[in-house]
Amino acid sequence: MFWSKIWFFLIAVAAVVALSFALVMPRPAQTASRNEETRRLTVACGVVNIVLEADARNRVELAGKFARNEDVERELADASAAATLDEKRMKQVRTVGEKVMEGIKGKRNPEWAIMVDKKGRAVARIRVEDTEFGDTLAGRPLVDDALAGYLRDDIWMFGRTTFLVAASPVVKGTEYVGAVVLGHKIDTEFAKKIVGKSLLVELGFYLPKDTIAATSPAALEQAPMTSRIGTLLGPDLSSDCSNDNNKPMPLTAGSDSYTALVSRLPGEAGARGAYFSVFSKQTAEVGFWDTVSGVTKDDLGFGSFPWILVGGLFVVVLGVGIFLMLFESDRPLKRLTAEAVRLAKGEVERLAEDAHPGKFGSIARSVNIHIDKLGREAKSAKKDLDQLLGPAPEGSLGTIDLLATALPSVRPGGPAPAITPPPISEFKFGDSGAMAARPPLPPARPAARPGTPPPVAPPPAPKTTDLLGGGFESAAAPRPSIGTASTPPLTLDDDILGGVGATPTPGPLPSGPVDPYFKSVFDQFLAVKKSCNEPTAGLTYEKFSEKLVKNRDDLIAKTGCREVKFTVYIKEGKAALKATPVKDE
Amino acid sequence: MHRLAITTVFLASTASAHANPVHGKLELPTTLPERPPPSVRGFVERVENPKKPIQGISVTPYLLVVLENDTSKADSPGQVKWELAGDSFTKPVLGAPVGAQVVVKNTSHVARTLVAVEDAKLIGNGLINPKVGEKSFTVSDAKVYTITDKDAPHLVGKVVVVASPYIANVSPEGKFELDAPEGSYKVRVFYKDHWLDQAESVTVVAKGKTEPTIKITSLAAPAAEKKP
Repeated sequence: MFWSKIWFFLIAVAAVVALSFALVMPRPAQTASRNEETRRLTVACGVVNIVLEADARNRVELAGKFARNEDVERELADASAAATLDEKRMKQVRTVGEKVMEGIKGKRNPEWAIMVDKKGRAVARIRVEDTEFGDTLAGRPLVDDALAGYLRDDIWMFGRTTFLVAASPVVKGTEYVGAVVLGHKIDTEFAKKIVGKSLLVELGFYLPKDTIAATSPAALEQAPMTSRIGTLLGPDLSSDCSNDNNKPMPLTAGSDSYTALVSRLPGEAGARGAYFSVFSKQTAEVGFWDTVSGVTKDDLGFGSFPWILVGGLFVVVLGVGIFLMLFESDRPLKRLTAEAVRLAKGEVERLAEDAHPGKFGSIARSVNIHIDKLGREAKSAKKDLDQLLGPAPEGSLGTIDLLATALPSVRPGGPAPAITPPPISEFKFGDSGAMAARPPLPPARPAARPGTPPPVAPPPAPKTTDLLGGGFESAAAPRPSIGTASTPPLTLDDDILGGVGATPTPGPLPSGPVDPYFKSVFDQFLAVKKSCNEPTAGLTYEKFSEKLVKNRDDLIAKTGCREVKFTVYIKEGKAALKATPVKDE
Repeated sequence: MHRLAITTVFLASTASAHANPVHGKLELPTTLPERPPPSVRGFVERVENPKKPIQGISVTPYLLVVLENDTSKADSPGQVKWELAGDSFTKPVLGAPVGAQVVVKNTSHVARTLVAVEDAKLIGNGLINPKVGEKSFTVSDAKVYTITDKDAPHLVGKVVVVASPYIANVSPEGKFELDAPEGSYKVRVFYKDHWLDQAESVTVVAKGKTEPTIKITSLAAPAAEKKP
C-alpha cells in the first residue's frame, strides 16, 4: 500500500497545485492586461502629442499662406499707416479676409481669422466677434512674435471655448505690415479626429475645473487629473506621457472605472492649467470563474486544446493508480482470501505470513496467532480431559478414547470389525451441512436420573465437536491413536475387559436392573471384541456398566456436560470405547 | 517732426506758470536686448518667416524718464489716466507721482479683473467692463507695481510711482517731453522693470526749452540695485 499512498499523495499534491494554478492564473493575465492597458495609454498619449504637433505645423503653414495673400498684405499695410481705424476700413478688410477664408480648401478649415496691423491693433475679425475692431492684440505672445516676424502656434481661450491658434507675419515688400491669426476650435469632432479608430482610447481636453471637449461623455473626476498635472514640471511637455511620475491613474465616472493618463497642453491655455487626458475603461477584474465562464467552444476545440495530452495523462494517472491498487491491495487481498479459504478447507493449518506483504501479512499473523491460541486452548482442554478421561484421539478434542490404549495391544481374535473413527479430512469449519446431517439433540434427561443413558443412536455433537465435525460417521481413514502419546485414559480395567490371558467368556448377565444404553454399549463392545478375536473372558456387564457409570459421572462433574456418549470402535485391530461429553447447546 | 510720447500725468498743482518745457532725448545703446524666448510656446517652436529678418525688440515703450530734486514732490498729485486697449495697456510702463490716483479705462471689448502683484488690495475687486469701464486706485508709496489680470497672464503693465511729478514716456525715437520749473534735477530712467544706473543731471532754464540728451550706456539692471 506504500506506493498507492505515495501515488494518491502525489495526485492530491498535483490537484492542489492545479487548483492553485487555476486560481492564480487569472492574476498574471490581469497584470498583463493592466500592463497592456498602461502601454496602450502611454502610446496613445504620445501619439496624441505627435498628432497635435503635426496639426500645429499644418495650421502654421496655413496661416503663412493666408498672410502671403496680396490683398491681405495691401489692406494691412494701409491699416498700419492709418492713425485710427474706422468701421469702413474694418469691413473692407473683413471682406478681404472672408474671401481668403473661403478659398481655403482642406480637411480642417479655420474657425476664424483675425487680421492685425503692425501696431498690434485688430483691424478685422472674420467669423468671430466680427463687429469688433481696433482693440490691441499686441501683448499676446503669439501676436507679438508674429509682428516680430515669427510663425508660431498657441492655444487661446475665449471664455469657455478653447482654440488652437496659429499666426504668421504679413510682409509687404520689405516691411512688416501686420499679422494674421487663425483659430481652430477644440471640440469633440477634433478630439475624435485625433484618436481616430486605431488608438482605442478616449481623449479629453480639460481645464482645471472644466471639460473643453472629449470623445466620451463620461464625466471623469478631474481633481486627481488636475493634481497630477500640478506635479508635472519641466519645459518638455512631450515627455509627460513617458514621465515616471505620471503613470496611468484610476478614475471613476459615475459607476464606471477608468484608467487615465494626462499630459499638459502648451500655450496660454497650458499656462492656465489646460491639459489633455487619454483614458479607457478599466479592465475588469478577472477571477477564476470569470475565466472559466469566458471559455468558448473554440477554446476547447482540438485545434486549441491539447486533448490528446490531457487524455493521455489521465489514462497514465489512472493506469498507474489501478496498477498500484492491484499490485498492493487487490492481488494480495485475493491471495490472502484464497489462502484463508484453503485454511478454512483445512488444506493448510496456518496462513503463510511471509507470503503476504504489509497489512495482509499482519492479518495473516493475527489469524495465525488466533489459530495458535485456539490450539493452545484446545490442547489445554484436551489436557484437562486427558487428566479426567485420559488422552483423546488426536483431532478429537471433545471425544475421549476410553479403551483404545487401555486395551491390550495384542489381543486374540484378530482385528475389530469395520467400525472406524471418522477421517479428519471430513472435519470442516462451520460446515452447516455436516451439522444438518446430524440427528437432532435428544431431549434432556432429568437430572434425577443421572444414570440413565442416552439412546444408543449417536447424540448430537457437542459444541466442541463443531470444530472437529461429525467424523464419527466416516470410516474412510482411521484416526491416529492417542495411545502412547497420551496418558492412559480412563481405563476399563481388565476386570471389565478381561485379562490378556483370561478366557474370553462373557460373564453372566447382571442380576440387578439393566440400563438399556449401557447394555447396548456392552453388547456392541462385546461383539466388536469378538469380531476382533479378542478374549472376552471376565468381561461382565456389571463391571462394564459400573465403570461406565463412574466415568460418566466423573466426566459430567468435571466438564459440566449434560450427558456422556459412549462409542465402540476398532482401533489398531482391537475394540475400543470412547466417552464423548455431550453439552447443552 | 515726430509726435512725442509725452507723459499723461496731469498735475494740477505743478502745472503752474513757472513750468518750463523740457524736450530731451535718450541716446540708446547700439546693442539692444535680444528678443527673449517666448513666455509660452505652442506645440511647435516658433519659426522665422522666410521673407524678412526678425524685427528687433522695441525698448522705448518700456522707458520712463523722471526728473527729481528736493522740491519736486507734488503737493496735489491728481489723476493719471491709463488705457487698457485689449491684450495690453497702451503704455506698458506708466509713471505716477506718489499720492496720484491711477484711473484705468478699459477700451477693449473684453472685461478684465486687474490686480497688483505687489499689493493685492491696491485695486478693488471686480471686473472692469469693456468699452466704458473704469477702475481707479491711489498709489501712496514710491514703488513699482505690476498690474495684471490673472485670467490673462500676458496682460502686464508696470506703474512706477515716484516722488516727483515730472515724468515722461519716451517716443520710438527716444525723445521725451515734460514741463518742469527751472532748477537742477537728477535724471532717472526706468526701463521695463528696473531703474537704470544713470548719474546724469539736467538744469531747467527759466526761459526757452531745455533739451538735454541723456546717454544710456546699458539697459541692464544695475548689479547692486537689482530689480526694484
